[in-house]
Amino acid sequence: MGAHHHHHGNGHSHDDHEPIREAPEISEFEVLELAVRELSIEKGLFSAEDHRRFSEWAENIGPAGGSRLVAKAWTDPEFKRRLLDDGTATCAEVGIDWRDPTGKGTPSDYTYFYVLENTPDVHNVIVCTLCSCYPRPVLGMSPDWYRTPNYRRRLVRRPREVLAEFGLHVPPSVEVRVHDSNQKSRFMVMPMRPAGTDDWTEAELAAIVTRDTMIGVAVPQVDWTATRAPSELGGHR
Amino acid sequence: MQRRVSDIGPVERTPLDSPYTISTDLYEALRHIPHDVGGQADLPVPYLEKEEENWEMNTYVTCECLAWRGVWNAEMRRRAENDLGATLYFGLPYYARWATVATKTLIDQGLITPDELSAKIDEVRARLRKAAS
Repeated sequence: MGAHHHHHGNGHSHDDHEPIREAPEISEFEVLELAVRELSIEKGLFSAEDHRRFSEWAENIGPAGGSRLVAKAWTDPEFKRRLLDDGTATCAEVGIDWRDPTGKGTPSDYTYFYVLENTPDVHNVIVCTLCSCYPRPVLGMSPDWYRTPNYRRRLVRRPREVLAEFGLHVPPSVEVRVHDSNQKSRFMVMPMRPAGTDDWTEAELAAIVTRDTMIGVAVPQVDWTATRAPSELGGHR
Repeated sequence: MQRRVSDIGPVERTPLDSPYTISTDLYEALRHIPHDVGGQADLPVPYLEKEEENWEMNTYVTCECLAWRGVWNAEMRRRAENDLGATLYFGLPYYARWATVATKTLIDQGLITPDELSAKIDEVRARLRKAAS
């Protein structure tokens, strides 16, 4: 279904020596999704309003919620204690409601949420070896690489090597803990607050808590910002 | 390359003839469910960032709406993806897997018919082509 590319009369010749080109005009998967969605709506399985409401939620989630959680935990020990005790409930204090957008949460994320604290002795990193479970309400949609079988295969067996490919070299003295997410449990890493940030505001702190630092494949740096990915700053991808 | 049955199976085969014995490696590959890949051997690849395309976001939302309104749940979706078998599971783009199993599930449950689907696909394709021209 759509794995092949149709050339619908777009006028180019089929010379054997011509490089193969993608036919960009219509994606078969786009056709399939629209067909399924429209049939579902016509049959009353869900409504166009359901789709609109869910899309609006999905387009507005992102790692900023997680960044706020971490920055607040760095500056407020009581909040940090609550966050580590009960991640799901404490999210509400920064405006993340796990019951959005349906009143009972998303069908894929109805779950318990745990925040994993990095320490000088322990570095945490998350994966989903079975599929692509990810704390969407807190971190947004997962990056494409997180969903790849390659990451899912390799992280559990050789985490230090995989982290090194992301540019993160964890010293041998630090234990690396890999947390395998599943349907019922979602995780997020709370990185360590970097040195030299003592007088920073919560907003300034949140800006260096990038998505990758909360997955655990990076650690916050004082010269990073949330709007510039580590890869743009010379990190290996 | 991911490890597939075809990668470690014999290069020459007798056509669909059940063998008397198989290697332990091949047995492990055959009985392994496709989605459970943790710990399997693989080589480093560049981990690429990719923007979510519109159809991908729409596929996610459509699948979630089907679950929200009780057609299936996330575990059923994942099981259905697993049941695609290794070739389709690893061969399809991530959200194409979702779109494919949503379609199969609706047909399997009798909520839509293959004829309705074909007609709708033709209609949507014609409409998109017209809009693009």
